[in-house]
Amino acid sequence: MPPKTSTGKEKDLTNEDEVLQAVILADSFNRRFRPLTVGKPRCLLPICNATLLDWTFESLALAGVQEIFVICRSYADLVKAAIRESKWSKASSGLKIVPIVTAKETFSPGDAMRDIYTHGIITSDFVLVTGDLVSNIRIDEVVRAHKERRRTNKDAIMTMVVKESGAQHRTRSRGESGVFVLDAATSECLHYEPVIGYPHNTHAHIPREILAEHPETARLTSALSRRVPSLFQDNFDYADIRRDFVYGVLTSDLLMKNIHCYIAKEGYAARVADTRSYDAVSKDILSRWSFPLVPDNNHPGDHSYEHLRGNKYIAKDNSVVLSRTCKIGSNTLIGAHTSVSDNASVSASVIGQRCVIGPGAVLHGAYIFDDTHVGAGAHVEASIIGSSARIGEGSTIKTGCLIGDGVILGAGARLDRFEKVSRRREDISGEDADDEEDDEEWAAIEAYQESTTSILGEGSNAVVWPQRPLEEDEDDSFESYNNQRLMRIGDDAADLDLSDAGSVTESESDSESESDTDSDLHLSRTSSMTSASLAPDASALHSLHASAADSEFRSEVRQSLDRAFAEGHSVDNAAVELKTLRMASNVPLRRVREAVVAGIVERVEVVEGDVAKQRAAIAKMVHRWGALIDRIGGVDPVETVEVLQEHCAQSARLPLFGQILAALYQADIVEEDDIRAWHARPSSKGGDLKPGPQREGVEKCWMVGKRMIEQFDEQESESEEESEEEEEVQGKGKESESEEEVKGKEKEESGEDGEESEGESEEESEEESEEEEHKPPAKPTPSVPKDASEKPTPTGDAAATKAAPSTVEKAAAPSATITASSQSTVVAAPVGRSAPPASRVAQDDAESEDSEEESEEGSSEEEHEGEKSEHSSSSSEEEPGARAHGPGSSSSSTGTSSEDEED
Amino acid sequence: MASSSAATSRAVEVLAGKLKRRQVVGSREAALETLLVLRQVVSRARFSNIEQLVGLIRDVGKKLAEAQPKEHTIGNIVRKVLHNIREEYNTATRGAASAPSRNVYSISMFVLQGQPRKHEIAPKSEATISLKENDTEDPDSFAKGIKPVLMEAIQDVLDEIETVYDNVSKTAKDHIHSDEIILTIGHSKTVEAFLKSAAHSRNYSVIVAETGPSYSGQDMATSLSSAGISTFLVPDSSIYAIMSRVNKVIIGAHAVLANGGMFAITGSLLAATAARAHSTPVVVCAGQFKLTPLWNLYHEYGALDFGDPSSVLGFEEGSLVNKVDVINPYYDYVGPELVDVYITNDGDHPPTSVYRQVDILIYWTFF
Repeated sequence: MPPKTSTGKEKDLTNEDEVLQAVILADSFNRRFRPLTVGKPRCLLPICNATLLDWTFESLALAGVQEIFVICRSYADLVKAAIRESKWSKASSGLKIVPIVTAKETFSPGDAMRDIYTHGIITSDFVLVTGDLVSNIRIDEVVRAHKERRRTNKDAIMTMVVKESGAQHRTRSRGESGVFVLDAATSECLHYEPVIGYPHNTHAHIPREILAEHPETARLTSALSRRVPSLFQDNFDYADIRRDFVYGVLTSDLLMKNIHCYIAKEGYAARVADTRSYDAVSKDILSRWSFPLVPDNNHPGDHSYEHLRGNKYIAKDNSVVLSRTCKIGSNTLIGAHTSVSDNASVSASVIGQRCVIGPGAVLHGAYIFDDTHVGAGAHVEASIIGSSARIGEGSTIKTGCLIGDGVILGAGARLDRFEKVSRRREDISGEDADDEEDDEEWAAIEAYQESTTSILGEGSNAVVWPQRPLEEDEDDSFESYNNQRLMRIGDDAADLDLSDAGSVTESESDSESESDTDSDLHLSRTSSMTSASLAPDASALHSLHASAADSEFRSEVRQSLDRAFAEGHSVDNAAVELKTLRMASNVPLRRVREAVVAGIVERVEVVEGDVAKQRAAIAKMVHRWGALIDRIGGVDPVETVEVLQEHCAQSARLPLFGQILAALYQADIVEEDDIRAWHARPSSKGGDLKPGPQREGVEKCWMVGKRMIEQFDEQESESEEESEEEEEVQGKGKESESEEEVKGKEKEESGEDGEESEGESEEESEEESEEEEHKPPAKPTPSVPKDASEKPTPTGDAAATKAAPSTVEKAAAPSATITASSQSTVVAAPVGRSAPPASRVAQDDAESEDSEEESEEGSSEEEHEGEKSEHSSSSSEEEPGARAHGPGSSSSSTGTSSEDEED
Repeated sequence: MASSSAATSRAVEVLAGKLKRRQVVGSREAALETLLVLRQVVSRARFSNIEQLVGLIRDVGKKLAEAQPKEHTIGNIVRKVLHNIREEYNTATRGAASAPSRNVYSISMFVLQGQPRKHEIAPKSEATISLKENDTEDPDSFAKGIKPVLMEAIQDVLDEIETVYDNVSKTAKDHIHSDEIILTIGHSKTVEAFLKSAAHSRNYSVIVAETGPSYSGQDMATSLSSAGISTFLVPDSSIYAIMSRVNKVIIGAHAVLANGGMFAITGSLLAATAARAHSTPVVVCAGQFKLTPLWNLYHEYGALDFGDPSSVLGFEEGSLVNKVDVINPYYDYVGPELVDVYITNDGDHPPTSVYRQVDILIYWTFF
């Protein structure tokens, strides 16, 4: 009976929020559990005596899912029967489970998803899980967050749920994992890269755009590798969910879809993806990580177990026969009707129902399915033994063996490590999934049987599977033999050439993230400076075509833009054309941006002499075409500014930079914050460029930006502190005087910018950061000490001040809506000194002129060293006075730094 | 028939599922939910004699109690409901005849309880209309006749649970005196109400232990201090050290056992033992519905309800997880020798007489 016949209250609930649907991919589409999965699907393998499917159902029920579609391919009848017989099919379970059989031709989850789509059963957002999930995460809030996001952003197509686990964690898959790059604020997944266990790779390639887009938020969480109920919208065409779909969506710009990531802080989630994780998840369940999904509380198979000291779980119905002399170690689960004979020792193992453990048998880390008999004196170590198997007396089964259902091993059988054993082919009845592949496999197995009776013992019905597949499937490196080894139960893969996958990613994940970030930032820096040879995209995907298509692309874009400008295309059309071009030649987004910005800049009419007309011309251009910058496939205003700077620096139109930037600001293409962000970047200052005209240009642009930011600051401070208006008015008079003075000096010095020493840019950034520190406390400082400290500025530093290009002044005027009321108050500027950071008082509205001088004065610092030292000493003399006047924290901090100088 | 029984059985399954999945936790919560389901069961049940109804409730109770054996109040509530139903049935069928037997008070009960229990009011006269069991002509007549009385009986239990905080804290000012220092642990709603009620007339200080690994003591401290009580939050490790200055330890209980011991949040045993070492009185506040006809004589290991280790050892600690077995019991068993008095909504009892209370309240109606 459908859950509709419930109370009125519940009806209301179901009306309110629609039924939460889930899709289970019951087929694993790989063969890692062979030979255990010969004759039955993987999702019906028991883990802790309940089938994986049951655990998945329970996990979903716990998460509040009401309707489940199970997609089965191989052994669909078995899956269907299992669902029919389970408690879940009862009306009272509150779950509606619909098995869906897909065609035999379905070879990947992507095919399966398409199949569901054609069925048209999914009505809204749904949860996608594989049929091997053990989880206690409540995903309903994830679903809520996902829906909320979808409401505002139609492009958020999916939310992945991952659980953070330490590297070296047993549950963490070593063979396949991934690096997630997430936006810390929005938890949007910016990049995903699958990581393969072998051959080992310690580097994740992160496309430069991502770090450029979100430089301060991007963080690398390579520790995430855990599965994943994913929420899809009905939009899928990919082959492997995580590896291909996520990667594909994220690297595709055409789709423009976003994937978000939810990191489960609490709760447990794990996939049983391979035998190794089978072992790990079993242990996790036994040590109660999956609470409340634990054997004694909410066993999905509806068995009841008694929890004893040391995480021992013994079936509750008193049917277990434990000999008085047997030893049951910790972390052990023993199913109903099982008997453990004298002197047998069982530890860290799971034993199914109706098993018999012979006298003196030693089981450690063994997983034994139902109805299996282990003979007297047998040793089983970290292996999985299928149901109804018979292990002969005195057999030895070493670590990592997989023994299929119904296998009979004779007395004294010796299985070496990692042997796989199953019954002979003709013995396995009900084999309904015999296809060609299986035939080949069996042929290989039969060819492999030479003298196996010695290791299988007398009277065995078993065949030994070859360790390595004959021909390795080179296409899929995730299923390669060496990588498979990382997913094998009990295999520490010590001989493989990887210094323990876990620890590598662990120890390097932190450093890796940093170094990666560093190197990538470095990349972007160099590339932004040397646009001649744009560094190929770090992503291997792009690198191949990048260089070849580069020149072609550029000329194409130029032509396309020419056409657009000449024929007056609409912005949308031009954008589409550019996008197509970019797709065709597979270049990073930045290149397009560069081309567009360059196009706009070069097409601005140059009006000599008349500032207002020039401004109007720029505004017109930006108004008409500025929107194109954001239409090319990604909005990144910070990069826009950077590209603009870079272009202007090389171009003859350098003087226009400020005005264009202002126009962009007015047109809302870049925001104040973006200019600040750009300005704060070390690369924007051209610090690592070789001295030369380009660097000069870059620096000039940077200064223009700085000035603009100062104006922003003023704007803010003005609006905030109206009470200080009077002071400002007073200050303006002084300022205009000093400005004149400065200008006079500027003319003198205008020739000698250029030769800077290398250390300066660092120095400057230091100053800058200090300046920021000083800012807030500086504000309330009364103007009296300011005036006192102002005096040295013209005398000491004006000489060092070089001319700001006249364009700078022009640019500043239109960009800021308020007039600059800047007061320069440099107290001391020991730029030449390396140890103490430059001490200066950045008083309230004094940034604009001040910083300009500051940045300049270093440039000619060598010449004026004598003056400097004199000046700094004079300033330190003055300090006490300043302190006495203004007891604000700014003056005291200046005091300390001037003391530093005196040392 | 089909739809109503399906609906009730579904309600039962839903609650059982929630209990299993720990979506309903806490003794009072579990008790309330159980009661609501039982009310639904009774109101929709079709029966022609009392045994059918009792059988029905027993089945439901068994299912719920088995779903979550760690929530003892489920069983208590079912027993109580069964008991009340039988009482009502007796009064209804035998009329005033049974009334005298209910009003007989033994000396011991008088001593224990101080005063007669309130809800034993005069038998409801309207219920004494003729009730005919197993009426073949109209099988529903019995159910129709008795149902209103039964619903009232269940409502009584519901009222008792809903007013339990008020009734427990009624006597708070008799237990807490001015300028006393009280130590408590965990965030028991009963204790919270008790302390807040005492704060109306007394000026005293409370020391709250943080109560790892749930750190519910932090919430408790916030709540108490916002109510104007001078509150100190201390780490669990300092409980013993500060015990010499504490006048009284007041803690809550998850379940009170018939031997006078109790299950209470982890850390209670530590506090109670420290209190015993300093001869500090230990006062336990608990609603009557927590009195459970169980003993824990053999200190059954699994009874303590072990949670997941993640609150103790982060799941991220990969290399440790493999090597360390973390045991995170949610409750402590505090033996009767460590408790001085139980304050319930029906008077105060020493641990030694809890069995008697259980006897009176529940009548050992196993179901």
